[in-house]
Amino acid sequence: MSTAMNFSSKSFKPRPPDKGAFPLDHFGECSAFKERFMQCLRDSGYESSACRQRAMAYLECRMERQLMANEPLEKLGFKDLIDEKSEAKPEKL
Amino acid sequence: MVGMSYAAVPLYRLYCQATGMGGTTGAGHGSEQIESMEPVRDRVIRVTFNADVHSSIQWNFKPQQSEIYVVPGETALAFYKAKNPTDKPIVGISTYNVIPFEAGQYFNKIQCFCFEEQWLNPQEEVDMPVFFYIDPEFVEDPKMAKVDLITLSYTFFEAKEGQKLPLPGYQ
Repeated sequence: MSTAMNFSSKSFKPRPPDKGAFPLDHFGECSAFKERFMQCLRDSGYESSACRQRAMAYLECRMERQLMANEPLEKLGFKDLIDEKSEAKPEKL
Repeated sequence: MVGMSYAAVPLYRLYCQATGMGGTTGAGHGSEQIESMEPVRDRVIRVTFNADVHSSIQWNFKPQQSEIYVVPGETALAFYKAKNPTDKPIVGISTYNVIPFEAGQYFNKIQCFCFEEQWLNPQEEVDMPVFFYIDPEFVEDPKMAKVDLITLSYTFFEAKEGQKLPLPGYQ
């Protein structure tokens, strides 16, 4: 498929994922969260930005069930959603 | 001779260093970048999903969405699904490809299911998530100016000891 002609362009080198592989959700523990996310995608015309809340909920589900290494959600690109959440909450005593 | 087959330990093991606990050494792909990057809302990119299985593996494997619209600088989630329709467990391992090739350097997978062996029991079906983002530097690259479609393609192989995984781009 690739010829030797592409001296100047890089050939594709697959890189490992930054945080490794997701363990498989063998028992479907987070399937409901996945379904909600997929429903949002279908409803929004497959617009990722519209479904970030549900994407975050899915990843939180995984983290709670040891199906993903725990990571602050800000470091997963959800900082704005977290900030919104904490602004909506009244100050705790 | 046995030594040879172990020496040919699948190349993917070279890529399996990140085990979910701390990430890679890739420049600029760390959590700091993810936390601080801003979405570039005027560059919507259509990401389409392709799924292949090598003839060696009897899994059914497909994407759960044919496409998703993303913007650089914003993390995105997508799903594949795999089923083992046979009556014996099968261990698969996948690699992936990004088209156009030149866009691959901007396609960052935070976490997915590739490069590590995945075990499916008979009749088992699982969701396989991919969590990724397109690097905002994508929009600075003049070669990417006309790119508004990126295809992510995964291929599953049956994992066998000593098997050499045909990684695209590797000589």
